[in-house]
Amino acid sequence: MSIKSVMSALVIPRAIWHNASAFLSLGVLLLLWEGLAHYINIDGFPLASEALLQVPVILREREALISIGASLWRMFLGGALALMIAVPVGLTMGRNQRTAQALSPVLTLIYPIPKAALMPIIMLWFGIGDLSKVLVIFVGVSLPLIYHSYHGAQSVDEKLLWSAMAMGMKPVERLFRVVLPSALPEVLLGCRVGLAMALIVMIASEMIARQSGAGELLFNALDMALYTDVYAIIIILAGIGFLLDWVFERIRSRLVHWAEIRQDAVVPRGRA
Amino acid sequence: MNEAKRLGGWLFLGRTHGMIFSVISPAILLMIWEGVCRAGLIIPTLLPAPTAVFFRLVDVLPDPEFLHHLGQTMIRLLSGFAIALVTGVSLGLGASGRGSLVLEPIIRVLAPIPKIALYPAFVLIFGFEHTSKIALVVADAVFPILLATLHGARAVEPKLLWSAWAAGASRRMSIFTVILPSALPAILTGCRIALLIACVTVFLAEMISSTDGLGHLMIRSARSFRIIDMFVPLILISGIGLFLNAILLAARKRLLAGFDH
Amino acid sequence: MANSIILIENLTKCFVTTDGRRHLAIDAVNVAVAEGEFVSILGPSGCGKSTLLYMVGGFVTPSSGQILVQGKLVTGPGPDRGPVFQEFALFPWKTVIENVMYGPVQQGMSRRDAREHAERLLDLVQLKKFADFYPKELSGGMRQRVAIARTLAYQPAILLMDEPFGALDAHTRTVLQNELLNIWERDRKTVLFVTHGVDEAVFLSDRVVVMTRAPGRVKAVIDIDLPRPRRRVDLLMNRQYQEYVIKLERLIEDVHLEETGP
Repeated sequence: MSIKSVMSALVIPRAIWHNASAFLSLGVLLLLWEGLAHYINIDGFPLASEALLQVPVILREREALISIGASLWRMFLGGALALMIAVPVGLTMGRNQRTAQALSPVLTLIYPIPKAALMPIIMLWFGIGDLSKVLVIFVGVSLPLIYHSYHGAQSVDEKLLWSAMAMGMKPVERLFRVVLPSALPEVLLGCRVGLAMALIVMIASEMIARQSGAGELLFNALDMALYTDVYAIIIILAGIGFLLDWVFERIRSRLVHWAEIRQDAVVPRGRA
Repeated sequence: MNEAKRLGGWLFLGRTHGMIFSVISPAILLMIWEGVCRAGLIIPTLLPAPTAVFFRLVDVLPDPEFLHHLGQTMIRLLSGFAIALVTGVSLGLGASGRGSLVLEPIIRVLAPIPKIALYPAFVLIFGFEHTSKIALVVADAVFPILLATLHGARAVEPKLLWSAWAAGASRRMSIFTVILPSALPAILTGCRIALLIACVTVFLAEMISSTDGLGHLMIRSARSFRIIDMFVPLILISGIGLFLNAILLAARKRLLAGFDH
Repeated sequence: MANSIILIENLTKCFVTTDGRRHLAIDAVNVAVAEGEFVSILGPSGCGKSTLLYMVGGFVTPSSGQILVQGKLVTGPGPDRGPVFQEFALFPWKTVIENVMYGPVQQGMSRRDAREHAERLLDLVQLKKFADFYPKELSGGMRQRVAIARTLAYQPAILLMDEPFGALDAHTRTVLQNELLNIWERDRKTVLFVTHGVDEAVFLSDRVVVMTRAPGRVKAVIDIDLPRPRRRVDLLMNRQYQEYVIKLERLIEDVHLEETGP
């Protein structure tokens, strides 16, 4: 009894442990890398400490910063474009049987295509400029967004829509004022998957096209045998991936919270 | 299925709205594409007609050189997936039990990293041959399987475990006789996602740096602007993805005979 | 009682809720069950009677106090105590016969012997024809029969039954109660039976332990002195039976009144 009560008093709050354990494991992973690199001892596998020290050096270079910035900007554009188009498409599919029947077989066929691999073809069509790079990201992000919006819209409570219809809302209005808020948790889940997808497509397509951007930066360093730089850039990209996911989760939990309150509010208004 | 949603939707696949509907719209799309090309509205060097791509595929498929490239890709794809499967399931089971304290934070740190960025490091460490590509496939495909296993194992009904323990199963035996079969539906969903990711990853890796494989064929054709030959490997790898997915769906149906779908 | 097969001494269970509050589920419970005895634990839902059973099973650890089974301290689950749950808890990926074979195989019986053994048990619960079905293809009553057969298969000395007929419709429940009594009459295993049904408790048991709620304490122990083998139709007319039912109904009513206040 006494031991148990002492134990429960000593239990670290979950949230703190959650973050602390992530940092701790990051440290462990870096130590593992350091030890492994020591042990293997080849040029192509520098020490973790060396790579980490190279990170601020790269981040101070103007050119590298511009490259990474430009990549992120294109990623943002592609993602925004996908949000504007894929979410309404997905929501419509979820509420309209015909649209779903027409589109989902096509989407099924498109799904396994490696999106970043479309880069050479898209570049042939739209040139080597930013447009092609944004388009590839757009395509990559669109599919998970459509999928999740589709499922979110499918599970919307029918009664909400009936009351919206009774209020005289037009179909488009219903889509954005009833279906979207109710499907928001699921749509945001799609956004999270889409965000990861955007980063992957961005890096992969830049590696393939070798035309400016973070992915090209990476392969330039590889070609010039700047091995420590390669690893430093990987750390930066991994950091970006981790950070974007973390920030998005914060935003998501806030937005979903808001959506839940909104969802409750829609019902009494509809009844009135 | 919740774990499927969490892992991101690849699941237009298998959710068909009846045979007829699933054929009509792709067929219409292909016919429009074909029509546009036949009518000369698009220069053939920019977009080949679907029939042209199909005939080229049929043409090159028996070619031993092409088969060699296809074989290389399949070796990387399947061995990478197999390693990811074994690692993912065992780590997932480990993380669901006593290993959670150590494994869970590590998974949380590693999962959101875009694995493709690791490819140059794999090339440096493992060289330009099979190993670096397989390593990338494993790195990419292991997480969906691992996370699915973890969630499946966590969701095991405790009374199933109690029933097993009371019947005399040891803790270790109950992992194999209760937790693993309980988590099987989730694991198979993870596998389907991982398999598609593996197809994509191996192709991209071959495009980025390789001297063989389907991805290499595509980039080689791109350098000489042979558009049909760019479409052939791209469509082939997508077809392989669909085919493997169909196999997994069939396996799922047999393996999960006792579960409510 | 020196010759008790189950001896529950001063058992207490305290849960810590997610917001850090402590909830006393079971407080200083003492129960002794003799070998071959059929004892029911009767109480309103949430009185911790299932928790008590899980502790005897070794699935849940007590906060204090102890449980002795056949003189040995319970530290975990064991094949001497076979649970039967309200949710059936059958392995959905195994067929009916594979479910029943599970225990014997785990204890080292060869698959062939286990199959023969399981067939006999399926015969006992009248499910021989359904050996190769999956649980999902059976009705609730049939599933619970399979679960009972699965538990009987590894020959536990004690059956721990956690509202086993609670999820069944009234008719099926009656049928299964009769079948359970028939099986019990044959080998007179010790049974600890958790229920919230007064008539079920009286019909089946030698003794009924009535529990209070939040915290769960023993309110009364009533000996059911009715002749066996029991038949439902006979009992319904039996004056004594009716008196037991009324007595227990009153006790349960008291439990509710004490809780809500006068």
